[in-house]
Amino acid sequence: MEHQFSAFLYQEHVLWIAAFTLGGLAFALGPIAIVYLFMPLQTRQLSNKALQFIECGMDPIGDSWIRYGVVFYLYALIFLAFDVDVLFLFPVATVYNTALFASSVRDFVEIVLFVGILALAIVYAWIKGVFKWERKTFLRR
Amino acid sequence: MGTQNIPSSVVQFALADKLINIGRANSFWPLTFGIACCAIEMMATGCARFDMSRFGAEVFRPSARQSDVMIVAGTITKKMMPGIKTLYDQMPEPKWVMALGNCAISGGPFAFEGQYSIILGADTFLPVDVYIPGCPPRPEALLQGIIELEHLVSDWKRWKNPEAA
Repeated sequence: MEHQFSAFLYQEHVLWIAAFTLGGLAFALGPIAIVYLFMPLQTRQLSNKALQFIECGMDPIGDSWIRYGVVFYLYALIFLAFDVDVLFLFPVATVYNTALFASSVRDFVEIVLFVGILALAIVYAWIKGVFKWERKTFLRR
Repeated sequence: MGTQNIPSSVVQFALADKLINIGRANSFWPLTFGIACCAIEMMATGCARFDMSRFGAEVFRPSARQSDVMIVAGTITKKMMPGIKTLYDQMPEPKWVMALGNCAISGGPFAFEGQYSIILGADTFLPVDVYIPGCPPRPEALLQGIIELEHLVSDWKRWKNPEAA
């Protein structure tokens, strides 16, 4: 009895789910099918350029997938080093002159240490020659 | 261009097409496309004084894929012709072409012997529906052309012909 009941319930659920799935599909695909039936399937062509991507009429020169110099990538990374420096110095700058931190050499030394450690990244990049603005050429395969 | 096959849809309802054509006639979407001085008159027509939007045709589209009327406003140079052809190709059906000004109709002042750079008339390579004469045409003339195109697209008339009554 228990088995019979659950099997019947299960069947009903499947029917509901199937109905809603079909209904959803009909609502999603129906407009596409209707539009396909009602739209002109082709347009009058003079030079067969209806599928040209650029919409100003002129033929595009070359591809939009061009290669940028890798120099820009390194530039962005180095910007990050400077950026983090400045970012963490802002809170320091806001509280540095308050009474809590006034006349303390230790705070100054801490800031110098912090900036010094972050500056090591820049020194590293400097030694690696990132700041020399050269177009790096690669073998194009 | 003579007679040509206008592509149509698979399913067609005559009554619905009539209604849709009335909608089309009352809301032309011209292409933002001016190739010479007639375009200045076209701009004036779109602006407040002459106000093309009274006739529903003020939505100048910057993309050919969204527009249904191409107003060939001005002199067609031989260098410009491939671009105009491409723009016409990119317009979806149904589409109409208006030749605005004498240059677009027949070459206008450029139709002389030894002339080497101007296409003499848009109808040499485009199926032109409405010709608007003038050098350049007044904005009222362009409005008249739009009304003529409305009559061409749909049986519906904006007003009755007073002379016929």
